[in-house]
Amino acid sequence: MNCPECDGEIRVPDDAIEGEIVTCPDCGASYELVKSNDRFDIKPAQAVGEDWGE
Amino acid sequence: MIVIKIGGSIVDGLHESTMQDIKALINNSEKIAIVHGGGKEVTRIAERLGKEQRFIVSPGGIRSRYTDKETVEIYTMVMSGKINKEIVLMLRSNGINAVGLSGIDADIIRAERKKRLVIIDERGRRVAIDGGYTGKISKINASLLFSLLEQGYTPVISPIALSDEYEMLNVDGDRAAAYIAGALNADAVIFITNVDGLIMNDKLVTSLTYDDAKMLLPKIGFGMEKKVLACTEALSMNVKEAIIASGDRKDPISSALRHENCTVISNGRR
Repeated sequence: MNCPECDGEIRVPDDAIEGEIVTCPDCGASYELVKSNDRFDIKPAQAVGEDWGE
Repeated sequence: MIVIKIGGSIVDGLHESTMQDIKALINNSEKIAIVHGGGKEVTRIAERLGKEQRFIVSPGGIRSRYTDKETVEIYTMVMSGKINKEIVLMLRSNGINAVGLSGIDADIIRAERKKRLVIIDERGRRVAIDGGYTGKISKINASLLFSLLEQGYTPVISPIALSDEYEMLNVDGDRAAAYIAGALNADAVIFITNVDGLIMNDKLVTSLTYDDAKMLLPKIGFGMEKKVLACTEALSMNVKEAIIASGDRKDPISSALRHENCTVISNGRR
């Protein structure tokens, strides 16, 4: 699959699971894998802080 | 005006003089609001209730509780019930007119619920999961706090926030204290914990500027790092000084205000 930002090739591991984060090796953009009709699609991964409460 | 954050690690270990120290400051016309923590007690009670706590690890290596629906209910019960009322009881039994509140009362703490969290799974790979019931503080409504303080009450606030969808959220107590101190235009926010302050190279760091603190943040261990971050947030909201001090010494609050054996972070020059 190709990076929507730079068209670089993003490799999805064979044992990938839904929600897994993949990164474009060319531009470094991160994407979350989402299941779509038994195959994976990608959506931009949200940037989240590390403050997860008490 | 002073905001005091009492860490969960020290609630039971506060020096016996602490309540009288707070009372003396109030008698001297100081206005005081208290925010507390208590994450470890939440874990303990949850396990006694048979709700196993799930801990997740962030890409930065930070281990945190995963707050699902049942956990946020237990969190609220323990924070706003047990811990908050124990502190109110300690204050009232020392003649301090304390009022216990949670962040959802009168919309004191509003937060944005985190939609997704990125964790490291058991295979060591990054995975996005549902954000659960944690939030990032977006707004403090201090009007009730000002009214209570004006009337001589000492508010004691637990770190539970209200989401825009009217859900209860787990928010970090240190950062809640910083935001409340900012909203109250406090002169100081004091983080009372079980150590003297920030220790670097085996030595207590007694004073830091805002810029020093920001620069040191990546080098500080987790736990203390959140306190130093909260200090910088408070300073950026015009709180004059942020202090990290031990609760296990005589008169811990006035001693911290005199800058004795503690870490003081301020906007001024060292």
